[in-house]
This record gives sequence, structure tokens and C-alpha cells, in this order.
Amino acid sequence: MKKRRVVKKKSFSPGQIIPESKGYLISDPKKCTGCGSCMFACSLAHEGKLNLSLSRIQILDDPLGTFPRDIHMAVCKQCLYPQCVVVCPTGALHIDREYMNARILDQGKCIGCQKCMNACPFSPSRISFDADRKIVLKCDLCKETPYWNKKGRQVCVDICPVNAIQFSAKTPDPIGETGYTVNLRGEGWKRLGMPTD
Amino acid sequence: MYGYTGNILRVDLTNQTMTTLNTRDYAEWVGGHGIATAIFFDLMRDKTVSAFDPGNTLVLMSGLFAGTSVPAASRMEMVGIQSQSYPYEWFGRSSIGGNFPVMLKFAGFDGIVIEGAAEKPTWINIVDGNVEFKDAMGLWGLDTHETQRVIFSQVSETIRDRNRLTNRADSITQWPCVLAIGPAGENRSRIATIQHSAGPSFGQGGFGGIWGSKKLKAISVYGTGNVDVADPEMLLNVVLEFRRKYGADFDNPKISDWQEYLTSHFGGHPGKRGAIFDNQRRPHGCYGCHMNCRPKTSTGLGTGGICKKGRFYQKFELAKRGRITEISGKATLLADKLGINAYVIDIDINYLRALRDKGILGPGRKIDTDLPFDKLGEAEFIEDYLHKIAYRKGIGNLIAEGMPRAAEQWGRLEEDLATGTLEALPWGYPIHYDPRTEVYWGYASLVSSRDINSHDFNVISYWIPNLDVATGKEPFVSAEQAAEIIAEKCAPYHDPLMIDFSNDNLYSIHMARTTSWLLHYSLFWKQSCGLCDNAFADFVNPYSPDHKGLTPEGEIAFFKAVTGKDISFIDTMEIGRKIFTLNRAIWTLQGRHRDMEKFDEYVYSVPSQGVSMFAGQPPSYYMPVNENGRWAYRNIVPRHLDRNKVEEWKTLFYELEGWDIKTGWPLESTLQELGLQGVAEELQKAGKLPVGDLPSIELR
Repeated sequence: MKKRRVVKKKSFSPGQIIPESKGYLISDPKKCTGCGSCMFACSLAHEGKLNLSLSRIQILDDPLGTFPRDIHMAVCKQCLYPQCVVVCPTGALHIDREYMNARILDQGKCIGCQKCMNACPFSPSRISFDADRKIVLKCDLCKETPYWNKKGRQVCVDICPVNAIQFSAKTPDPIGETGYTVNLRGEGWKRLGMPTD
Repeated sequence: MYGYTGNILRVDLTNQTMTTLNTRDYAEWVGGHGIATAIFFDLMRDKTVSAFDPGNTLVLMSGLFAGTSVPAASRMEMVGIQSQSYPYEWFGRSSIGGNFPVMLKFAGFDGIVIEGAAEKPTWINIVDGNVEFKDAMGLWGLDTHETQRVIFSQVSETIRDRNRLTNRADSITQWPCVLAIGPAGENRSRIATIQHSAGPSFGQGGFGGIWGSKKLKAISVYGTGNVDVADPEMLLNVVLEFRRKYGADFDNPKISDWQEYLTSHFGGHPGKRGAIFDNQRRPHGCYGCHMNCRPKTSTGLGTGGICKKGRFYQKFELAKRGRITEISGKATLLADKLGINAYVIDIDINYLRALRDKGILGPGRKIDTDLPFDKLGEAEFIEDYLHKIAYRKGIGNLIAEGMPRAAEQWGRLEEDLATGTLEALPWGYPIHYDPRTEVYWGYASLVSSRDINSHDFNVISYWIPNLDVATGKEPFVSAEQAAEIIAEKCAPYHDPLMIDFSNDNLYSIHMARTTSWLLHYSLFWKQSCGLCDNAFADFVNPYSPDHKGLTPEGEIAFFKAVTGKDISFIDTMEIGRKIFTLNRAIWTLQGRHRDMEKFDEYVYSVPSQGVSMFAGQPPSYYMPVNENGRWAYRNIVPRHLDRNKVEEWKTLFYELEGWDIKTGWPLESTLQELGLQGVAEELQKAGKLPVGDLPSIELR
């Protein structure tokens, strides 16, 4: 097996200013139906195969749970201060200044140390692990999608059958989850007999 | 192998051993029902064993599209000798949605063959290709939800241990998927289900009781593997394209009375009509589904129950209390937990109430029971009723056998089937759509082995006219448009008279084609590829500009993207016919004969009066008819079928399928034409291989 070359070069040094992302995914867990269409599409667009573990977005759906605690949407927040990027020892996780300042992984540089997973302040970690390739996977706002030809659009947004995920160019309130968690349930939702509060 | 992992798990419960079959060896059978039936045929040397015999092999098989992101396709089939059908335990099928069919593939298997019977309660744990037989003594007696929670906990811990040992990051986000029986299954009820999560179940067929007889409490699957498809980019594009053109817009839904009815159109969505009671909080979807038909509630009461499962107690509650409350949700949840087939419950209660009203049933009466009918509509009645069935207490011991067998024991069956006091579909299944009105539904059930439960023609021929007429609206599509759509979409026949429900057409070659199309389409696209009956066939659609649905273009596009294969719709229908013929061969080996295929007496002698669509309205049944060349929706009741003409219809249908008209057995020439030489040999050994000519091209 070919030994992976370890390049020890961090993207950022302490105190360095990190530019804000210009793109975010915001979502409504009370609207999410748990169908997982976003996970299937994410895996398909990025990897060309169906595999829930390879999806950069994760939907946690307790099959016997009750509303509203039954579903949790684990969506990468493109954090203002991306600890995953900061702790990456090889610079694999970096800011892509040509693509919305998205916090993006260069798979070729990833050594699978999983420090980024542990540094992610959210649970579950917004970074998942490909156990076969021994690298991590992270939302790139659909920059590297060899099987998705609508560049600049996010496949999870397009595929969600109930529009529970949206793209926003505006930076959400970074405190806690509330800025990223929005109410996307309108009059149509009400007409279906579902609550909008 | 696109769409599949390539392996089918084969477990021997008796010896607690496992092997695998190669999915590729069965590729000609497409998937789901087709492959499951072919495996059953190969492995079951003696196909005449009883349902509860340890030799009854059950085959579970995910649909081709499960796990591929094709919408409304997370489904799988189970086949085997069923316990529900009456008077014969025919080879039968049942299906389920939820997430299990997909997770099974991610766990490394396309299907599971269950052979033998365990000595003591057992559950099977499958994690990423590893299979363990586990002691289920501690689970025996638990309800289906309790069982799942215990397994969730155990399996999740196992996966965390594995990940720690292999230095894999602990990023489990998905729950294991579990199939489990409840007390009704443990007590070998013929109306017991196998449940998965909240709502989905293998309902019809009585397979829950068979799992109980095998002492198989549960199967859990968890996997992190792949499903590969031929063209990922094309697949994403066609899924989005067809969903955009034909799927519901949840932010601007087109809602009318029939459009709120879910079944069999791709543009369906959840709604108040599908709700259990006014506690619906979110629509919930099986993996990859765009329709999200299952309601979730804030209390868990009624969660996951759609259609009959969500509503079986509502009318009793409405009659008793004047409103629908959480009691109906409790009834749904209790049926789910005890593992009882919700479809039969209200029909059975109606029959028992009729017997009570006749003075036959009640405390100290001929059928002695303390069922509290004065509490019907309240929680007390349904809790008592369902517990009696699940634990076989009192009258529940016989009801657990299914109502035809119970009625037989009470000496009521012949009379009540003749008068229609007990209305049944062929083979003892509870009435669904009435054979006297929706005649193709009765025919398809008659020549199969269960309530056919395929709604393809049901929306266009029943729900649209009846809901719109009942509410004083002009039907969404006219009868003439409906006939044109059927003629356009229903290859190979292209026959508008397939939906002419006038008296003169009920026994015609046109209605034979309707029945044939429904069976072949369902067996290929729904039961083998795994497309959900709630979405397909899509004949009419509220979102397309011309109101025409995506069938058959959508199905063909999905098939191409997943498999890479160009296939014509007519070819798929022929494969559906091949699968149906294999079913027919198994029934033939079990003893099926033309003479057995008769409706119950009431169908021939008691006119259907139709149904009241809304409270206070007189019963009616509007259907498309062709009157001297002009199409219209007409009230076609009262109506019963003509016994002799049904026999004439059978002859036409047998000819159309290539069966012997005297016996109903597949002709040798038909089996040869379909490439079923091995099947022909087995039928010949049994002395059941009639020789005859194939039907004329004109007929077909």
C-alpha cells in the first residue's frame, strides 16, 4: 500500500483573520420529513454512488420519536471561525477564496487524523469519515461535484422535496443554532394541515 | 451489479447457519418480487407444505430501485406460503416501505432467505455484512416498539465498539432498521404483521404469525456500504426533472378533494385526509421519497399510519363521540405495537356488530363474548378487542385466525357470504374495492392469491369522478380524457375500453386487458423494481400542464439511469407476465384449478349499492362508461355480477395469459415462450402441463 505523504502545513496561524464564508445552508428541522433525499443526493453528486455515510449532510431521524425532537439536521455551518480548518495539520481543510470562501477539504492532503472531526463544536460532528479511504468528508457547498452539473447550486437544496434547506449568501447569527435554523413553513404548509408556528 | 450489492443472505434458523446466494444468478427476474419468487421456486422442493410448517421458506427481497434515490422506491417484498388466505394457504406476497429495504443493501445484502425454524426465540443482527443469530428470550413478549428500542440500543453499542476497535470515527447518525413481530405474531395469528419503525408493516398475508411459528422475533440491519448505479449524473437529472414536472409543490400544493387522496399518482402529498386526527405535525418519508405521506405527531399516537391504518377507528369514534380525538390515534398505535393487520380491523368489527344486531353474538348468545359493544368508539373497546386478538383471549382466539375461519367455526360462513353480511374478496381477504363495481380489482384478486391492492386504475376510474361529483364539481379530467390517457399509456393494448365500466363491458376482452395490465405492470414496476403504489402508475397528475402523468416515460428513464439498460415499456410488461406466470405455476403445483376461482355468492346475487362519499349523501358509485361511443361518468350501482359471464371472462383472461382454459394452468407453449423450461419440467412431473396453442395476436 502506498504510504500517504504527510505535508505539515497549516492553513492558518493563530491570530490570522479568516474571511467569512459568502454561502451558507440554512434549514428548518420542523419541516424536514426525514426522507434523507439530501443525503442520497449529496453522496451521489460527490461520489457517484449511494452511501449515507459518504454524505456531507446528515439527517438524524428517530424512527419512534415524536415531533419536534424526532429529527435533527446536521448541516455544516461554514463557521465564522472554522475550528476544523484551524486544527487541520496539513492544510487539507482550507478557505476557498474562489468559491464563496467556503471551508473546503482538499482530499489529497487529508491524512485522516480526524482532528477536525473532534474540533467541530457541533454534535454530531459536521465532518464525517470515509472509513475505506481513511479521509474525512465535509460540505463544500457543492464545489467538487463530478456527478452534478448545476455548478453553483447545492444539490441538497434542489433535491429536498419540501424545501426544508435553503442557500443563503447572508451570514446567519453565529451564536448557537438559531441563525441557521429558520422557519420555512408558509401558507402552503398550513394548507397541508401542518403547523407553521 | 447496478442497483444491487450482489449478495442475498440465506439463513437456516434450524441450524443457525448462513450462506449467500449470488444476486446475479437471478438477474433476469429484475428484483423484489421477481427474484424472491424465483428463489422460492428453486429452493422449495415441496410447495404444498402448510404456512406454519418449518419447511415454509420465506424470501425477502429489496426492489431494484431501493437505495438508488429513485423517488418513492424504498420498498421490498416478502414471499412464501401465506397464512391469511382462505380456504387455501396459497403462495403469496406482502410488501413494506420505510427504511429497511434500503438499509439492507447498505448492510451488504439485497435480500434474505429464511429457512427452517428456530428452537427458541431468535433475532438476527446484520451489520455491514456480518450476521449474528441472537437470543431473543428477553425480547419475547415485548411489543414491536419495545423490541425495536432494545435492539436500537444493543446494535448502536455494538457499532460503537467496532468503531473504537478499528479506530474509526464514531459518527453514527442513522438508526438500525428493524423488522419485528409483536404478541400477535408470537401467538401465530393469521392477521399478524411484521412491523418496522412506526407505521410500515408487512400487513397482508399473515406473515407475522409465520415468523412467530419460526420463533423469529426480529431482524435488524445496519450498514455503511454502497449502492452503485450506472449513470449517477443522469439519475440526479431525471429524478429532479420528473419531480419538478410531476411532483407536489409543498409550498404551493394543488389541493382538491381527489388530489388530497394520495394513492397512485406521483403528485400526491400528505394532507388532512391522510391525517389520523388533528395532531399531525410533520409529514414523514421513507428513504428517498418525495411524497412523505406518513404523518408524525407530537405524542406518537397514530404516527406513521396512513390510509386505513391511520383511520380504521375513526368512524366508530365519530359515531360514538361526534368527533375524532386522540383515541383513534391510540388505536393505530396499539395495532402497530401488538402487530395486528390494521386493514382487517374495522371490517371485522362491522361484521361482529352485524352478528350482535342479529342476536347471534354477545354475552350468553350462540357466539358468547363479553366484547363491550356499548363502548365501541371509545378506547375501552378497541383496547379490549386488540388485546383479545393478540393474546388469543376469548373470542380473540378465533378472530386471530382471520374472519373466514372464525365464521366457519361459528357455522356462519356460507350464509353470511351469500347474504353479504360478510363481504370478502377472493381467498378470504376482507373487502376492499368491490368486485361488483371495480370489477378488475376483483378479477385480479381472483386469479392471484390475495387482495390485489394495486390502485393503478383506481384514481382515474373511482376517486376522481366520485369525489368531484360528490362535491358538485366538474371532474378534474373528463371521462373522455381519461379514456384517451389510458389508451395512450397502457401499452401494449392501447385500448380506451379498458376503463369502460358499463354493464356490457364487464366480461369483455377489454376488462381482461385491464386486469392483465394491472398485474404485469405491478409485478414488474412496483413489486420487483420497488416503486410505491402510492405514486405509480401515474396516469393523471395535477402538476403537469396537460394533466397527463409520467407513466411510462418516468419509469423507463429511472430504469435506464440505474441499470444503464435500454428497455422498452412493452418488454417490461412481458417480464411482468413472466413473473405472473411463475406465480401461476406455483399455485398450480399447490393445487389451484379453474374451478376454484369463483367469487363468493353475494357478488353474484346481492347488488352493490355503492358507497356514501360523505355523511348524509345517498350511496352511489360513479365510473367512466362508454355509451354508444360517447364517454361519461355514470352511477353504475346497483349492480351484481353475472355468474356465467364471469366464467366467460375467465376463459378470455386465461387465453390472454396463455393458460389452459379448462384448468387455468400455464400452457407448455407459454412456458417455452417465456423461457421457463425448468418450470415446465416441474409441472410435467406433477402431471400439470397442458398442451395448447398460444393466443392469437389479435387477442393479445
